[in-house]
Amino acid sequence: FVGSLFLCCISAVALKRMLNFNAPPLKNTAAEPVWKVLIYDRFGQDIISPLLSVKELRDMGITLHLLLHSDRDPIPDVPAIYFVMPTEENIDRICQDLRNQLYESYYLNFISAISRSKLEDIASAALAANAVTQVTKVFDQYLNFITLEDDMFILCHQNKELISYHAINRADIQDTDMEAIMDTIVDSLFCFFVTLGAVPIIRCPRGNAAEMVAVKLDKKLRENLRDARNSLFTGDSMTAGQFSFQRPLFVLVDRNVDMATPLHHTWTYQALIHDVLDFHLNRVVMEEGMGAEPSAGARPKKKSRKTYDLTAADKFWQKHKGSPFPEVAESVQEELDTYRAQEDEVKRLKSIMGLEGEDEGAISMLSDNTAKLTSAVSSLPELLEKKRLIDLHTNVATAVLDHIKSRKLDVYFEFEEKLMSKSTLDKSLLDIISDPDAGTPEDKMRLFLIYYITAQQAPSESDLEQYKKALLDAVCDLSPLNYIKQWKAFTKMAATPANYGNSGVKPMGLFSRVMNTGSQFVMEGVKNLVLKQHNLPVTRILDNLMEMKSHPETDDYRYFDPKMLRGSESSIPRNKNPFQEAIVFVVGGGNYIEYQNLVDYTKSKQGKKIVYGCSELFNASQFIKQLSQLGQK
Amino acid sequence: MAVDITLLFKASVKTVKTRNKAIGIGFDSTKDEIFKRSRPKSGFSPRAKEVITNITKLKDFLLQHRKDYVSAGSLISSDLSRMTDNDRDQIDQDAQIFMRTCSEAIKQLRNEAEKQVISAQIKEHRGAVLDLIETYLKGVCKLYSEQRAIRVKRMSFVFRPLEKTASSEVQDNPVNLWEESRVEDELSPEEIQMFEQENQRLISEMNSLVDEVRQIEGKVVEISRLQEIFAEKVLQQEAEIDNIHQLVVGATENVKEGNEDIREAIKNNAGFRVWILFFLVMCSFSLLFLDWYDS
Repeated sequence: FVGSLFLCCISAVALKRMLNFNAPPLKNTAAEPVWKVLIYDRFGQDIISPLLSVKELRDMGITLHLLLHSDRDPIPDVPAIYFVMPTEENIDRICQDLRNQLYESYYLNFISAISRSKLEDIASAALAANAVTQVTKVFDQYLNFITLEDDMFILCHQNKELISYHAINRADIQDTDMEAIMDTIVDSLFCFFVTLGAVPIIRCPRGNAAEMVAVKLDKKLRENLRDARNSLFTGDSMTAGQFSFQRPLFVLVDRNVDMATPLHHTWTYQALIHDVLDFHLNRVVMEEGMGAEPSAGARPKKKSRKTYDLTAADKFWQKHKGSPFPEVAESVQEELDTYRAQEDEVKRLKSIMGLEGEDEGAISMLSDNTAKLTSAVSSLPELLEKKRLIDLHTNVATAVLDHIKSRKLDVYFEFEEKLMSKSTLDKSLLDIISDPDAGTPEDKMRLFLIYYITAQQAPSESDLEQYKKALLDAVCDLSPLNYIKQWKAFTKMAATPANYGNSGVKPMGLFSRVMNTGSQFVMEGVKNLVLKQHNLPVTRILDNLMEMKSHPETDDYRYFDPKMLRGSESSIPRNKNPFQEAIVFVVGGGNYIEYQNLVDYTKSKQGKKIVYGCSELFNASQFIKQLSQLGQK
Repeated sequence: MAVDITLLFKASVKTVKTRNKAIGIGFDSTKDEIFKRSRPKSGFSPRAKEVITNITKLKDFLLQHRKDYVSAGSLISSDLSRMTDNDRDQIDQDAQIFMRTCSEAIKQLRNEAEKQVISAQIKEHRGAVLDLIETYLKGVCKLYSEQRAIRVKRMSFVFRPLEKTASSEVQDNPVNLWEESRVEDELSPEEIQMFEQENQRLISEMNSLVDEVRQIEGKVVEISRLQEIFAEKVLQQEAEIDNIHQLVVGATENVKEGNEDIREAIKNNAGFRVWILFFLVMCSFSLLFLDWYDS
């Protein structure tokens, strides 16, 4: 039963249980509806929204879903399910609700464990309001992480600047701040492992934030396992992890091990959407009506904002979110053609019905037609849904294509790939930077930073001055460069610089361009680039650790096993077999490019399951902002 | 996995109670209990719960008798639990009446909820509750109509082979016997036989008619189901068409006003031009006049 790490299923099942008053949901058809009200805070909202849609909530009997800190009217005959973090203000608000007798019964679910003193606060408020019997159940859900995909999770979306890369790496950080950040991260990771039901083997590099997190997490897991009475990892509470015979491997890395990947321009669908459009928690927000510029003097066209949810139920998305963009364009076209063919089939039925109506003795034929009609009618909702998804992807892909064309992202991508694989460059860096209509100043800054990071030796002073002048001409902000210089100096002292493997980028020939012009997506002028498989540093580290390969980079990683009684970590791993399941966590932030790389790596290995997690998810522009903040100090 | 800390909570309640007693704060717990009991009996939710219990009763009843209802009623099985057709018809009728009353009760609740002046949240909540009940009712109705469709199909299937064999028998015989019976009128057994065969023929004719009627009934049941789906869609479209109609009316109004504005603007333009011309002509005349005056 390898493959117990299906995050979406596990988290969604946990949520559904909670919404069913913490009883396992019944499977029988046409069960009696029980209605309830769901109350959450912003953390709860972020956790629930990628997993359950509003329709699914309705199907589970939730009639209203409200924010904790909004005005809520008393609905005196309905049970209320709370899903909140146990912070001071939330507890106060719950006590206020108890005093105002808003609902009939209260099921309190706390996203992470609540402390004893806060529990007593609620108890005293309940006593004061004489509502103790109404508080029917109190649960610690241990769901303090956001599951975005089946194999990807992030720690939080609200208040993410508290544990961002900037917060961890700034120069003026105090020990107490660092402790607080580490505690937050460890709390979420602990909840993650409780939900998973498995105790992992932890490996981490030495000497950075990742090591601090690993030490704390090991300590917390160990304490919990020692406490046999209250241990969360034994007995019936384990569902997911109990079938795999091996423990998963948990690899902690720090963002500083690979600074080029977050700045990289990308070419796969999901990563492009995250880079170019506004994409959070599986939701894209776009402005419609981005057409030609309005003519002078006319009123500007009203731009409506449209929101699209990219969910697990969307088959096209699941299939193509990792494909290179030209493939996506072609596939959308194909889907559209299949849809039109099916639509024509349904329309043809109409004419069949009309012709065969007068045949007297052909009762059997009539019954065939009614069967056909029934099947057509029942397949209509499916067809409509398909059409909606095709429209969605057409809009999204068109918006992405507009960005690519206006910023010449394909040129950047090709150049960066060549830089990262140290192959020969056909254009000089200076040309691209001084080119006025290739990309925004941010794009140019990204390109230059990647050049700086991946260069074997630092460029000479005169070269550097030349580049700086060109960048300033292009209105770039140079503060990230200061920080990257510091970072480079630091990592040179510590270890060998990261090697990005040999990748190659081949532009596809004229033939495919001709094919493409026939489709709706006119991709002329945009090179059709094919990615060759290569491994980013994080993937390589994971590969070494999972397959127990020896490599200078990973040999001195620390080894923690919370289940071992001795409590001393040796650097020699006891386990000699390669791991089947692994969880990679990047402290300081991650992005979709790394995730996609890991997914591709998993596909090439049979039977392995890898989950990617990071403390926050940022795209390149957000990362550059953090770098410039760091560079200004 | 989630950890149930309800017991921990109850323990904290006890701790707080004892702590409060020690400090000397007491809470009078008895008074409020009495006030709680006096909740309105005929409020929204007790009635909604009633409708649900009724629907559940119907569902249980249907499920209980489902096996007997659907059983093929073959000639081989001689079960005592086999239902007669009368029973089945009775069940059909009762179920239909029940479903109708339930949907009417839901409609009534909905109307009442709209009329009452309550906050937006409670309205939304009640609307959602009624939607849930309706979906539940639809599910149970589906159970019922599935059963019925199966039954009707079975019936039409069973009678076909009987009809075929009866009609083929009857066709050969009447031709011969008719001649025989005319010659030997006094022979009663043959008369009886002839009458019997005629009876058979009539029975088979009736059977075939009944059979056709049953088939048509089956088709009609299927068509009615499809028709339901269509009716739903058409109603949805009606709402949308109303919406579009309103928008279009608004749009024509705006266009009319726009035309008026343009006409006025043209007029103003024209008037403006006339004034400019007049002013220029006056200026030139005054110039000429001054020139003539001066010289």
